Amino acid sequence: MGLLAAGIGAGIVALGAGLGIGMIGKAATESIARQPEASGDIRGAMILTAAFIEGVALLGAVICILLALGIGQ
Amino acid sequence: MVQTLRRVFLTLLFLSISTSNTFASEQDEAQVLDVMGTVADHNYFKVPGFINGGKIYLPRIFYWESAEGESKLSAYLSTKSVLESGEFVETEEGALVPANGGHIIVDLSITSHLIYFWMGMLLALVLTVMAAGRYKRGIGRTVEPQGAFQNMFEVLFVFIRDDVARDNIDHHKADRYVPFLFTMFMGISFMNLFGLLPWAATATADLTVTATLAFVTFVITQFSGTKDYWAHIFWFPGVPTWVRVILTPVEILGMFTKPFALAIRLFANMLSGKIMIIAILGLVFIFADLFGAGAAYGVGIFSVSLTVVLYALKAFVALLQAYIFTLLSAVFIGMAAEDHAHSEEGYYTEHSAEEVSAN
Repeated sequence: MGLLAAGIGAGIVALGAGLGIGMIGKAATESIARQPEASGDIRGAMILTAAFIEGVALLGAVICILLALGIGQ
Repeated sequence: MVQTLRRVFLTLLFLSISTSNTFASEQDEAQVLDVMGTVADHNYFKVPGFINGGKIYLPRIFYWESAEGESKLSAYLSTKSVLESGEFVETEEGALVPANGGHIIVDLSITSHLIYFWMGMLLALVLTVMAAGRYKRGIGRTVEPQGAFQNMFEVLFVFIRDDVARDNIDHHKADRYVPFLFTMFMGISFMNLFGLLPWAATATADLTVTATLAFVTFVITQFSGTKDYWAHIFWFPGVPTWVRVILTPVEILGMFTKPFALAIRLFANMLSGKIMIIAILGLVFIFADLFGAGAAYGVGIFSVSLTVVLYALKAFVALLQAYIFTLLSAVFIGMAAEDHAHSEEGYYTEHSAEEVSAN
Protein backbone atom coordinates (compact mmCIF):
# COMPACT_ATOMS: atom_id res chain seq x y z
CA MET A 1 0.00 0.00 0.00
CA GLY A 2 2.85 2.33 0.89
CA LEU A 3 4.55 1.51 -2.40
CA LEU A 4 1.37 2.26 -4.35
CA ALA A 5 0.93 5.57 -2.53
CA ALA A 6 4.58 6.46 -3.16
CA GLY A 7 4.29 5.66 -6.86
CA ILE A 8 1.11 7.68 -7.37
CA GLY A 9 2.51 10.50 -5.21
CA ALA A 10 5.77 10.65 -7.16
CA GLY A 11 3.78 10.82 -10.39
CA ILE A 12 1.66 13.73 -9.15
CA VAL A 13 4.77 15.50 -7.83
CA ALA A 14 6.48 15.15 -11.22
CA LEU A 15 3.30 16.37 -12.97
CA GLY A 16 3.02 19.48 -10.80
CA ALA A 17 6.70 20.35 -10.92
CA GLY A 18 6.85 19.76 -14.68
CA LEU A 19 3.86 22.04 -15.29
CA GLY A 20 5.30 24.72 -13.02
CA ILE A 21 8.80 24.72 -14.45
CA GLY A 22 7.41 24.44 -17.97
CA MET A 23 5.36 27.58 -17.43
CA ILE A 24 8.42 29.41 -16.08
CA GLY A 25 10.47 28.30 -19.08
CA LYS A 26 7.72 29.41 -21.48
CA ALA A 27 7.42 32.82 -19.87
CA ALA A 28 11.21 33.27 -19.71
CA THR A 29 11.86 32.33 -23.33
CA GLU A 30 9.01 34.57 -24.48
CA SER A 31 10.38 37.48 -22.48
CA ILE A 32 13.92 36.90 -23.77
CA ALA A 33 12.60 36.81 -27.33
CA ARG A 34 10.73 40.04 -26.75
CA GLN A 35 13.60 41.80 -25.00
CA PRO A 36 16.94 40.05 -25.65
CA GLU A 37 18.99 42.70 -23.84
CA ALA A 38 17.37 41.75 -20.51
CA SER A 39 18.19 38.04 -20.89
CA GLY A 40 20.65 38.02 -17.98
CA ASP A 41 18.14 39.35 -15.46
CA ILE A 42 15.37 37.13 -16.80
CA ARG A 43 17.61 34.04 -16.55
CA GLY A 44 18.43 34.85 -12.93
CA ALA A 45 14.77 35.30 -12.01
CA MET A 46 13.91 32.11 -13.88
CA ILE A 47 16.47 30.00 -11.98
CA LEU A 48 15.34 31.48 -8.67
CA THR A 49 11.65 30.76 -9.29
CA ALA A 50 12.42 27.29 -10.63
CA ALA A 51 14.42 26.60 -7.47
CA PHE A 52 11.39 27.42 -5.32
CA ILE A 53 9.16 25.04 -7.29
CA GLU A 54 11.88 22.40 -7.19
CA GLY A 55 12.05 22.72 -3.41
CA VAL A 56 8.34 21.93 -3.06
CA ALA A 57 8.61 19.08 -5.57
CA LEU A 58 11.58 17.54 -3.78
CA LEU A 59 9.76 17.80 -0.47
CA GLY A 60 7.04 15.69 -2.06
CA ALA A 61 9.64 13.31 -3.45
CA VAL A 62 11.22 12.86 -0.01
CA ILE A 63 7.80 12.05 1.44
CA CYS A 64 7.35 9.48 -1.34
CA ILE A 65 10.71 7.91 -0.43
CA LEU A 66 9.62 7.76 3.22
CA LEU A 67 6.36 6.08 2.17
CA ALA A 68 8.16 3.60 -0.09
CA LEU A 69 10.56 2.64 2.69
CA GLY A 70 7.65 2.17 5.07
CA ILE A 71 8.60 4.78 7.64
CA GLY A 72 5.87 5.61 10.10
CA GLN A 73 4.08 2.28 10.00
CA MET B 1 16.96 20.57 15.24
CA VAL B 2 20.07 19.09 13.66
CA GLN B 3 19.96 16.20 16.12
CA THR B 4 16.35 15.45 15.21
CA LEU B 5 17.10 15.61 11.51
CA ARG B 6 20.06 13.34 12.03
CA ARG B 7 17.84 10.88 13.84
CA VAL B 8 15.23 10.97 11.06
CA PHE B 9 17.90 10.41 8.44
CA LEU B 10 19.55 7.62 10.38
CA THR B 11 16.18 5.93 10.80
CA LEU B 12 15.64 6.21 7.08
CA LEU B 13 19.03 4.75 6.29
CA PHE B 14 18.77 2.09 8.95
CA LEU B 15 15.40 0.95 7.65
CA SER B 16 16.61 0.91 4.08
CA ILE B 17 19.72 -1.04 4.98
CA SER B 18 17.71 -3.52 7.03
CA THR B 19 15.20 -4.00 4.20
CA SER B 20 18.00 -4.62 1.73
CA ASN B 21 19.46 -7.12 4.19
CA THR B 22 16.24 -9.14 4.34
CA PHE B 23 16.25 -9.07 0.56
CA ALA B 24 19.86 -10.25 0.63
CA SER B 25 19.11 -13.24 2.83
CA GLU B 26 16.54 -14.51 0.32
CA GLN B 27 19.03 -14.48 -2.52
CA ASP B 28 22.73 -14.93 -2.92
CA GLU B 29 24.22 -12.55 -0.36
CA ALA B 30 27.24 -11.37 -2.34
CA GLN B 31 25.19 -10.58 -5.46
CA VAL B 32 22.96 -7.86 -4.02
CA LEU B 33 23.59 -4.25 -4.94
CA ASP B 34 23.04 -2.19 -1.78
CA VAL B 35 21.69 1.08 -3.17
CA MET B 36 21.25 2.93 0.11
CA GLY B 37 24.58 1.63 1.41
CA THR B 38 26.41 3.53 -1.32
CA VAL B 39 24.87 6.84 -0.32
CA ALA B 40 24.84 6.25 3.46
CA ASP B 41 27.39 7.60 5.88
CA HIS B 42 30.03 5.11 6.99
CA ASN B 43 32.68 4.81 9.66
CA TYR B 44 35.25 4.00 7.04
CA PHE B 45 36.78 5.78 4.10
CA LYS B 46 36.54 4.00 0.75
CA VAL B 47 39.79 3.69 -1.21
CA PRO B 48 40.79 1.65 -4.26
CA GLY B 49 40.55 -2.05 -3.44
CA PHE B 50 44.26 -2.82 -3.55
CA ILE B 51 45.01 -0.62 -0.50
CA ASN B 52 44.03 -2.01 2.88
CA GLY B 53 41.17 -4.09 1.49
CA GLY B 54 39.32 -1.06 0.15
CA LYS B 55 38.53 0.54 3.48
CA ILE B 56 40.36 2.83 5.88
CA TYR B 57 38.62 2.82 9.24
CA LEU B 58 38.03 6.15 10.91
CA PRO B 59 38.20 7.05 14.61
CA ARG B 60 35.15 6.59 16.82
CA ILE B 61 34.54 9.21 19.48
CA PHE B 62 31.72 8.88 22.01
CA TYR B 63 30.40 11.13 24.70
CA TRP B 64 28.60 8.62 26.85
CA GLU B 65 27.08 8.01 30.25
CA SER B 66 28.08 4.90 32.13
CA ALA B 67 25.77 2.85 34.35
CA GLU B 68 27.07 4.70 37.43
CA GLY B 69 25.85 7.97 35.94
CA GLU B 70 29.19 9.60 35.13
CA SER B 71 29.65 11.02 31.66
CA LYS B 72 32.85 10.24 29.79
CA LEU B 73 34.46 11.16 26.50
CA SER B 74 36.17 8.19 24.87
CA ALA B 75 38.05 8.02 21.62
CA TYR B 76 39.11 4.91 19.71
CA LEU B 77 41.04 4.45 16.49
CA SER B 78 38.39 2.34 14.76
CA THR B 79 35.23 0.35 15.36
CA LYS B 80 37.41 -2.73 15.80
CA SER B 81 39.42 -1.20 18.62
CA VAL B 82 36.17 -0.06 20.28
CA LEU B 83 35.06 -3.68 20.47
CA GLU B 84 38.52 -4.87 21.54
CA SER B 85 38.57 -2.43 24.47
CA GLY B 86 35.53 -4.22 25.90
CA GLU B 87 33.79 -1.06 27.00
CA PHE B 88 31.24 -1.26 24.19
CA VAL B 89 29.38 -4.17 22.65
CA GLU B 90 27.65 -4.44 19.33
CA THR B 91 23.91 -5.06 19.24
CA GLU B 92 22.20 -7.19 16.63
CA GLU B 93 21.34 -4.09 14.59
CA GLY B 94 25.01 -3.16 14.40
CA ALA B 95 24.78 -0.23 16.82
CA LEU B 96 27.31 0.18 19.62
CA VAL B 97 26.16 0.33 23.25
CA PRO B 98 28.21 0.51 26.48
CA ALA B 99 28.91 -2.99 27.81
CA ASN B 100 27.93 -2.33 31.45
CA GLY B 101 24.69 -0.46 30.80
CA GLY B 102 24.35 3.25 30.32
CA HIS B 103 23.97 4.94 26.97
CA ILE B 104 25.77 7.04 24.37
CA ILE B 105 24.77 10.71 24.67
CA VAL B 106 26.41 12.00 21.50
CA ASP B 107 28.19 10.00 18.83
CA LEU B 108 30.98 12.33 17.71
CA SER B 109 32.63 9.76 15.44
CA ILE B 110 34.42 10.97 12.35
CA THR B 111 32.59 9.63 9.31
CA SER B 112 33.29 9.54 5.58
CA HIS B 113 30.89 12.41 4.88
CA LEU B 114 32.62 14.54 7.51
CA ILE B 115 35.99 13.84 5.86
CA TYR B 116 34.63 14.98 2.48
CA PHE B 117 33.04 18.03 4.12
CA TRP B 118 36.45 18.96 5.54
CA MET B 119 38.17 18.25 2.24
CA GLY B 120 35.73 20.46 0.33
CA MET B 121 36.07 23.33 2.78
CA LEU B 122 39.86 22.91 2.99
CA LEU B 123 40.18 22.98 -0.79
CA ALA B 124 38.07 26.15 -0.91
CA LEU B 125 40.29 27.68 1.79
CA VAL B 126 43.56 26.72 0.11
CA LEU B 127 42.50 28.04 -3.29
CA THR B 128 41.23 31.30 -1.79
CA VAL B 129 44.40 31.84 0.25
CA MET B 130 46.52 31.10 -2.83
CA ALA B 131 44.58 33.64 -4.88
CA ALA B 132 44.70 36.18 -2.02
CA GLY B 133 48.50 35.86 -1.95
CA ARG B 134 48.68 36.79 -5.61
CA TYR B 135 46.44 39.83 -5.16
CA LYS B 136 48.56 40.91 -2.17
CA ARG B 137 51.62 40.89 -4.39
CA GLY B 138 49.77 43.22 -6.73
CA ILE B 139 49.02 40.80 -9.56
CA GLY B 140 45.44 41.50 -10.55
CA ARG B 141 45.37 44.95 -8.94
CA THR B 142 48.18 46.86 -10.63
CA VAL B 143 48.39 44.54 -13.63
CA GLU B 144 45.88 42.12 -15.16
CA PRO B 145 45.26 38.76 -13.48
CA GLN B 146 47.74 36.23 -14.83
CA GLY B 147 47.38 32.57 -15.59
CA ALA B 148 44.35 30.30 -15.94
CA PHE B 149 43.96 29.80 -12.19
CA GLN B 150 43.72 33.47 -11.26
CA ASN B 151 41.47 34.30 -14.19
CA MET B 152 39.04 31.52 -13.34
CA PHE B 153 39.13 32.48 -9.69
CA GLU B 154 38.38 36.09 -10.51
CA VAL B 155 35.48 35.14 -12.79
CA LEU B 156 33.92 33.07 -10.01
CA PHE B 157 34.58 35.61 -7.29
CA VAL B 158 33.25 38.57 -9.27
CA PHE B 159 30.22 36.48 -10.23
CA ILE B 160 29.42 35.77 -6.57
CA ARG B 161 30.10 39.37 -5.54
CA ASP B 162 28.17 41.14 -8.30
CA ASP B 163 25.46 38.75 -9.42
CA VAL B 164 24.72 37.05 -6.12
CA ALA B 165 25.61 39.41 -3.26
CA ARG B 166 25.20 42.91 -4.66
CA ASP B 167 22.08 42.08 -6.67
CA ASN B 168 20.20 40.71 -3.69
CA ILE B 169 21.57 42.48 -0.63
CA ASP B 170 21.45 46.25 -0.04
CA HIS B 171 24.41 47.83 -1.76
CA HIS B 172 26.36 49.21 1.19
CA LYS B 173 25.94 45.97 3.17
CA ALA B 174 26.53 43.41 0.42
CA ASP B 175 30.32 43.23 0.63
CA ARG B 176 30.19 42.08 4.26
CA TYR B 177 28.49 38.85 3.19
CA VAL B 178 30.69 38.07 0.19
CA PRO B 179 33.22 35.96 2.17
CA PHE B 180 30.43 33.81 3.61
CA LEU B 181 28.66 33.39 0.27
CA PHE B 182 31.88 32.61 -1.55
CA THR B 183 32.90 30.02 1.05
CA MET B 184 29.48 28.39 0.76
CA PHE B 185 29.64 28.35 -3.03
CA MET B 186 33.16 26.91 -3.25
CA GLY B 187 32.67 24.44 -0.40
CA ILE B 188 29.38 23.07 -1.71
CA SER B 189 30.71 22.92 -5.28
CA PHE B 190 33.72 20.87 -4.21
CA MET B 191 31.62 18.61 -1.98
CA ASN B 192 29.20 18.00 -4.87
CA LEU B 193 32.00 17.42 -7.36
CA PHE B 194 33.82 15.01 -5.04
CA GLY B 195 30.73 12.82 -5.34
CA LEU B 196 31.51 12.26 -9.02
CA LEU B 197 34.82 10.53 -8.25
CA PRO B 198 34.82 6.76 -7.95
CA TRP B 199 35.08 5.56 -4.30
CA ALA B 200 34.26 9.03 -3.03
CA ALA B 201 31.08 9.91 -1.17
CA THR B 202 28.86 12.94 -1.73
CA ALA B 203 28.85 14.78 1.58
CA THR B 204 25.91 16.93 0.49
CA ALA B 205 23.78 13.83 -0.08
CA ASP B 206 23.53 13.69 3.71
CA LEU B 207 20.75 15.63 5.43
CA THR B 208 22.97 16.37 8.45
CA VAL B 209 25.53 18.17 6.27
CA THR B 210 22.99 20.25 4.36
CA ALA B 211 21.09 20.99 7.56
CA THR B 212 24.29 22.29 9.15
CA LEU B 213 24.98 24.53 6.14
CA ALA B 214 21.39 25.79 6.16
CA PHE B 215 21.63 26.38 9.91
CA VAL B 216 24.63 28.67 9.38
CA THR B 217 22.59 30.64 6.84
CA PHE B 218 19.70 30.76 9.31
CA VAL B 219 21.90 32.16 12.10
CA ILE B 220 23.46 34.77 9.82
CA THR B 221 20.03 35.77 8.52
CA GLN B 222 18.67 36.30 12.03
CA PHE B 223 21.72 38.24 13.18
CA SER B 224 21.66 40.56 10.18
CA GLY B 225 17.94 41.22 10.62
CA THR B 226 17.08 44.91 10.96
CA LYS B 227 14.37 46.47 13.12
CA ASP B 228 12.04 46.37 10.12
CA TYR B 229 12.63 42.65 9.67
CA TRP B 230 11.61 41.86 13.23
CA ALA B 231 8.69 44.29 13.00
CA HIS B 232 7.45 42.43 9.94
CA ILE B 233 7.59 39.18 11.85
CA PHE B 234 6.05 40.12 15.19
CA TRP B 235 3.97 43.21 14.44
CA PHE B 236 3.25 43.49 10.73
CA PRO B 237 2.88 47.18 9.90
CA GLY B 238 -0.19 48.56 8.21
CA VAL B 239 -2.72 45.77 8.83
CA PRO B 240 -5.58 45.44 11.36
CA THR B 241 -4.75 43.72 14.66
CA TRP B 242 -6.86 40.62 13.97
CA VAL B 243 -4.82 40.01 10.81
CA ARG B 244 -1.66 40.16 12.89
CA VAL B 245 -2.96 37.24 14.98
CA ILE B 246 -2.85 35.15 11.80
CA LEU B 247 0.25 36.73 10.29
CA THR B 248 2.63 36.46 13.27
CA PRO B 249 2.58 32.63 13.51
CA VAL B 250 2.87 32.36 9.74
CA GLU B 251 5.86 34.72 9.70
CA ILE B 252 7.55 32.87 12.57
CA LEU B 253 7.00 29.61 10.70
CA GLY B 254 8.41 31.27 7.60
CA MET B 255 11.64 32.00 9.46
CA PHE B 256 12.24 28.25 9.76
CA THR B 257 10.80 26.96 6.51
CA LYS B 258 13.30 28.94 4.43
CA PRO B 259 16.46 27.22 5.74
CA PHE B 260 14.54 23.93 5.91
CA ALA B 261 13.72 24.14 2.20
CA LEU B 262 17.35 25.11 1.55
CA ALA B 263 18.61 21.97 3.29
CA ILE B 264 16.04 19.63 1.71
CA ARG B 265 16.65 21.01 -1.79
CA LEU B 266 20.39 20.40 -1.78
CA PHE B 267 20.07 17.05 -0.03
CA ALA B 268 17.36 15.68 -2.32
CA ASN B 269 19.07 16.89 -5.49
CA MET B 270 22.39 15.28 -4.70
CA LEU B 271 20.82 12.08 -3.34
CA SER B 272 18.49 11.65 -6.30
CA GLY B 273 21.36 12.12 -8.77
CA LYS B 274 23.30 9.34 -7.10
CA ILE B 275 20.37 6.95 -6.81
CA MET B 276 19.37 7.60 -10.42
CA ILE B 277 22.77 6.49 -11.73
CA ILE B 278 22.75 3.36 -9.59
CA ALA B 279 19.18 2.58 -10.67
CA ILE B 280 19.95 2.94 -14.39
CA LEU B 281 23.07 0.79 -14.12
CA GLY B 282 21.01 -1.64 -12.05
CA LEU B 283 18.71 -2.17 -15.06
CA VAL B 284 21.50 -4.27 -16.59
CA PHE B 285 21.33 -6.74 -13.71
CA ILE B 286 17.54 -6.72 -13.58
CA PHE B 287 17.35 -7.55 -17.31
CA ALA B 288 20.05 -10.22 -16.89
CA ASP B 289 17.88 -11.80 -14.19
CA LEU B 290 14.62 -11.60 -16.13
CA PHE B 291 15.58 -12.26 -19.77
CA GLY B 292 19.11 -13.67 -19.67
CA ALA B 293 22.52 -12.42 -20.67
CA GLY B 294 21.62 -11.32 -24.23
CA ALA B 295 19.06 -8.78 -23.08
CA ALA B 296 21.54 -7.55 -20.48
CA TYR B 297 24.13 -6.80 -23.15
CA GLY B 298 21.53 -4.86 -25.14
CA VAL B 299 20.38 -2.87 -22.12
CA GLY B 300 24.00 -2.40 -21.08
CA ILE B 301 24.79 -0.35 -24.17
CA PHE B 302 21.76 1.85 -23.50
CA SER B 303 22.38 2.15 -19.73
CA VAL B 304 26.06 2.93 -19.94
CA SER B 305 25.61 5.64 -22.58
CA LEU B 306 22.75 7.12 -20.54
CA THR B 307 24.96 7.05 -17.44
CA VAL B 308 27.66 9.01 -19.25
CA VAL B 309 25.08 11.67 -20.14
CA LEU B 310 23.78 11.65 -16.57
CA TYR B 311 27.30 12.11 -15.26
CA ALA B 312 27.73 15.24 -17.35
CA LEU B 313 24.34 16.41 -16.10
CA LYS B 314 25.42 15.70 -12.52
CA ALA B 315 28.56 17.79 -12.94
CA PHE B 316 26.34 20.65 -14.14
CA VAL B 317 23.79 20.11 -11.36
CA ALA B 318 26.61 20.07 -8.78
CA LEU B 319 27.59 23.62 -9.73
CA LEU B 320 23.97 24.72 -10.25
CA GLN B 321 22.88 23.55 -6.80
CA ALA B 322 25.85 25.27 -5.18
CA TYR B 323 24.83 28.43 -7.03
CA ILE B 324 21.18 28.08 -6.01
CA PHE B 325 22.10 27.48 -2.37
CA THR B 326 24.31 30.58 -2.40
CA LEU B 327 21.75 32.66 -4.31
CA LEU B 328 18.91 31.76 -1.95
CA SER B 329 21.15 32.41 1.08
CA ALA B 330 21.85 35.85 -0.35
CA VAL B 331 18.14 36.44 -1.04
CA PHE B 332 17.18 35.48 2.52
CA ILE B 333 19.93 37.60 4.05
CA GLY B 334 18.97 40.45 1.74
CA MET B 335 15.34 40.20 2.83
CA ALA B 336 16.37 40.38 6.49
CA ALA B 337 18.97 43.11 6.10
CA GLU B 338 16.81 45.45 4.02
CA ASP B 339 16.93 48.93 5.44
CA HIS B 340 13.61 50.56 4.65
CA ALA B 341 10.03 49.72 5.46
CA HIS B 342 8.30 49.79 2.11
CA SER B 343 4.87 50.00 3.71
CA GLU B 344 4.99 53.75 4.32
CA GLU B 345 3.21 55.85 1.78
CA GLY B 346 5.28 58.22 -0.27
CA TYR B 347 8.38 56.11 0.26
CA TYR B 348 9.25 55.78 -3.38
CA THR B 349 8.83 59.47 -4.19
CA GLU B 350 10.86 60.41 -1.12
CA HIS B 351 13.72 58.01 -1.57
CA SER B 352 14.10 57.57 -5.29
CA ALA B 353 15.59 61.04 -5.65
CA GLU B 354 18.19 60.27 -2.96
CA GLU B 355 19.13 56.97 -4.54
CA VAL B 356 19.58 58.52 -7.94
CA SER B 357 21.86 61.19 -6.50
CA ALA B 358 23.78 58.59 -4.46
CA ASN B 359 24.49 56.56 -7.55
